[in-house]
Amino acid sequence: MGIVFSAGKYVHWGVLSISLTNLLIILGMIVVFGLALVLPFPGAQERHQADEDES
Amino acid sequence: MSAPASDAGQRSWTAAVRDHVTGLVPEGQALPDRQPAYVASWIYVFGVATLAALLVVVGSGIVLAMGGAAWWHTSGLGHFVNSVHLWSVELFFAAMVVHLWGKFWMAAWRGNRGLTWVTGVVSFITSIGAAFTGYLVQSNFDSQWISGEAKDGINSIGVGGFFNVLNTGQMLLWHVTLLPIGVGIIAVMHVILVRRHGVVPPLDDEGKEVAR
Repeated sequence: MGIVFSAGKYVHWGVLSISLTNLLIILGMIVVFGLALVLPFPGAQERHQADEDES
Repeated sequence: MSAPASDAGQRSWTAAVRDHVTGLVPEGQALPDRQPAYVASWIYVFGVATLAALLVVVGSGIVLAMGGAAWWHTSGLGHFVNSVHLWSVELFFAAMVVHLWGKFWMAAWRGNRGLTWVTGVVSFITSIGAAFTGYLVQSNFDSQWISGEAKDGINSIGVGGFFNVLNTGQMLLWHVTLLPIGVGIIAVMHVILVRRHGVVPPLDDEGKEVAR
């Protein structure tokens, strides 16, 4: 069994250099952020309705 | 027998502390069961997710501390707890950054909430220090490389004399005592301020804010 020492994969773009893992995590966070903005929250509609009825 | 202090017009320090603590948040806002309708959005989940991840970080860190500084290299259970600690930190930062993005674009410092925003920023910076010292005390080649690379940067800002990144023992104590205490205190202050001032309303609903 050998131990593999690897520096990992890096993405280079001009002066920018970022590891592929970090790039994928950042892209994943942006996707999650976008989904959090657009996906409906369970019960949100009822709460809006209840607040409007109270006011 | 002397009269009670309250009768004499003097209040004890315990009563003063009690009044201060109970007055930190408006009545019923310490653990509210109802929020304005605009809080029913996934974007508000990430602040709570950050707190939940922080609890797992602290809990797994306590278990790691009980096992000792080499436990996670020599035991399967230690390795597992170490991985729980790492991945809860990853989740903590991911959730915190999404929370930060959301609050930035909501301009969450509106309505006398400047200090809430600032405590969030300070807790973010302190957490980066806590994570950095965590990477320094892995006791492997990774931590050696990171400390070697960080040494010159830390020296260049003039703090290398008392924050020596090559001193594993010093970094371990920063990681398990000073920085977690700092993150914990600032996180509690942040949550109290959120409960004190309420959740910021959306930009187009600013007129609907209930004054506190």
